[in-house]
Amino acid sequence: MGRLFAIEIVYRGIFQKNLAKNISRGIVLAARHAGKTGISFGRYGDSPERNGIPAKNFAIVATDDETLQEGMAKYEPREVDITIAVDDTLCKGVESWAWYGLQPINRLLKPGGTLLVTTMHDFDAIISMCHRKDYPYQLALLRGIPSFSGLWVYKDDHTDVRVLGAIARVLPDLFDLDAVEKAIREEWNDDLKVASARKAADRLRTRVVLPTEGNPEKPYAFELPRWYELREGLSIPAIPVGQGVADPVTGQVGGFRPARNPTFKKFSTRTMRPVVDFDKCVKCTLCWLQCPDSCFDVTPDGYYDAHMEACCGCGVCEAVCPVEHCITMVNETAFTDNRSQWEMWKQDKDAYRAWVQDKIRARPPRQHGFRIRGQYVEEIQQLVAAGVVDRSLGERLAEDVTAEPGEASAGG
Amino acid sequence: MDAVETALPTQQLEQIKGVKKAPLEEYFTSGHRTCQGCESALVMKLMVKAAGPRTIVLGSTGCMYVANTTYYSTSWVVPWMHTQLGSSGSAGLGTAAALRVLMRKGKIKEEPINVIAFCGDGGGADMGLSAISAALTHPQYNFLILLYDNESYANTDIQLSGLTPYGAHTTFSPPGKMKRLLHTRWKKNVAGMLAAGHPECRYVATVCASYAVDFMNRVRKALSIGGPTFIHSLDPCPKGWDYDPMLSHELGELAVETGVWPLYEVENGVLKLYGRTKAIAEKRARRKPVREYLIRQGRFAHFTDDDIDYFQAKVDEMWEKWLIPGVIPFRKELEQDRPPV
Ligand SMILES: Cc1ncc(C[n+]2csc(CCOP(=O)(O)OP(=O)(O)O)c2C)c(N)n1
Ligand code: SF4
Ligand code: SF4
Ligand code: SF4
Repeated sequence: MGRLFAIEIVYRGIFQKNLAKNISRGIVLAARHAGKTGISFGRYGDSPERNGIPAKNFAIVATDDETLQEGMAKYEPREVDITIAVDDTLCKGVESWAWYGLQPINRLLKPGGTLLVTTMHDFDAIISMCHRKDYPYQLALLRGIPSFSGLWVYKDDHTDVRVLGAIARVLPDLFDLDAVEKAIREEWNDDLKVASARKAADRLRTRVVLPTEGNPEKPYAFELPRWYELREGLSIPAIPVGQGVADPVTGQVGGFRPARNPTFKKFSTRTMRPVVDFDKCVKCTLCWLQCPDSCFDVTPDGYYDAHMEACCGCGVCEAVCPVEHCITMVNETAFTDNRSQWEMWKQDKDAYRAWVQDKIRARPPRQHGFRIRGQYVEEIQQLVAAGVVDRSLGERLAEDVTAEPGEASAGG
Repeated sequence: MDAVETALPTQQLEQIKGVKKAPLEEYFTSGHRTCQGCESALVMKLMVKAAGPRTIVLGSTGCMYVANTTYYSTSWVVPWMHTQLGSSGSAGLGTAAALRVLMRKGKIKEEPINVIAFCGDGGGADMGLSAISAALTHPQYNFLILLYDNESYANTDIQLSGLTPYGAHTTFSPPGKMKRLLHTRWKKNVAGMLAAGHPECRYVATVCASYAVDFMNRVRKALSIGGPTFIHSLDPCPKGWDYDPMLSHELGELAVETGVWPLYEVENGVLKLYGRTKAIAEKRARRKPVREYLIRQGRFAHFTDDDIDYFQAKVDEMWEKWLIPGVIPFRKELEQDRPPV
């Protein structure tokens, strides 16, 4: 039997759908130029994809057809050589559309395999988010801001080819940079992209992560009933209605906390979260009323406390809050827990104020998708200025926004 | 035979006077698998918040079924049942009728129970339209059909529906080099059509969840007035419309402020514009240019200025030439249009 390579691309559903497809397709094309054979596909269970909810694509490559056949017919490989996270907040864990519980980002990694993350952070910040593993693995960091765009308008900031370049560096047995170059010329025929891929391979930073390092928490999981244990009529128990909230200082109970679906928490959908400055809140109710995820608990003293097990980080609350800097969306990587902000505030207002200021200062702006025409062209100009995207061979910014037809997929 | 039977009493739900009076309880709660910033999820939340605990919800296949009730998992607090894609009309009517039978036979306590059947634009405006129309001709049953309109078959990754706006990029209408616009038909006017064509239907309204209190009050009015009723909600969909989810609320407002989505209700045959739409019609507010609405959405990213102008002209026509602005599409015999001979 020949050698089998498995690579998974973990991405934010829809926002990075085209990006993930380009990467997994690019891997297989490059592998072909290295004399191998392969296939690229998405996981059926992730479809229909939703904005922001983690999803996966796979590239399975083999040295011969028979080995490929053997490795292919799986819902999801049992182990992978490389896990690619094209958004660093995914390192906190993955709760996919189609399953229950949180999967560590490195769950499928083989001993000695590589976790490749596109990020602006350093090793320590990424390692502290990733769950611990029993054996050492390699962490590779590719510098760059996460490339988010929507379903129709693709933001071509070269993240796809930069990832291909990085793979050539961490797994040379799969393909080398020359194979990557050939694949890029075949697929895009673009010198700039070739330059970006080579530069990425050059600049990639790697380090081994030991079993003593990383987030020690046990990811949550659920025992679900078997099909023969389902209730008559395939009925599902409803969620109980909620109850009052207890004030951590006075013990007074009031307001309302809705009960929540215990088997799907949604916070791994989040790339940023709201930070509420309760001193500024005028209790207008808008955040509570307009949150599509019913995240806000109403406290006994009439404040609105975004519950971090339910918040998917859409940012609607920040957008509707009428008071300036009262709700601020902050990058999810700035947090290590899901504590109640209102309780923190009640317990120690000065400490809370300092905490808020600290978080807001550390807030790298993050955008999902399309906001206005011409937006991506501007963003890419900034990336060029920062040296993340290589434009040394000439400026062609008008072509950066391409409206590519997405692919249809069935579901439901 | 039972055509003369009188209807059961409905729940009398008071109008909500301001945001502070909105009920605290959620009957559709967190942990659904919709997109970030999904306004249709907000519609579900506001719909049952207004209706209260004695409510049965029937969900037609689509995002709001698939994303809210995946294997052994739900976000519903009130009883909920899945019904087929084109069946919201039949399911609403059938459930209302079944409740009456159970009460008449003494199998359950006699009390007003709200029945709400929801459907997407594909399920409601295309394949389920005939069943909805049929259901709205049965005056002796109390139920509400709520059409949540994200302007595409969103669950199956954005196919064109009869309610997809002119020119939008969908899986079935990708813009290309030869043809920049593949979809050049104008959106159906479902609420207007149902209001005009169903004299037995005592309440039809259009709503938008960006105006939450107005929204909940339309739901309450529909449920209190009894008989078969219909509400059409326009729901910004960050996935299909392709915009930053943070803009969901703003896009709902822009749809109304640009006049693309007029807010009105037809109560016992009497038409009333309300909210921002009323202010625009009475010239207390100005209609914003549709450009502001279109340029924020990736599905219109391929539009040229000419396309935007055309869109604007069609919306202007709705407001200036329709018999009732934005509601009834028959043209007035405007003198300047067709001078009498
Ligand atoms: C009769 C039938 N045809 C096709 C499907 C596949 N299907 C599942 S959801 C869906 C889209 C429904 O679109 P819409 O009613 O607009 O609701 P949305 O998904 O936009 O919420 C389709 C076509 C189905 N379930 N039943
Ligand atoms: S970001 Fe705000 S509006 Fe969005 S889910 Fe979280 S709490 Fe709700
Ligand atoms: S929207 Fe802002 S001001 Fe209004 S209740 Fe929420 S946090 Fe307070
Ligand atoms: S596709 Fe649109 S309607 Fe469906 S869950 Fe996503 S935002 Fe909501």
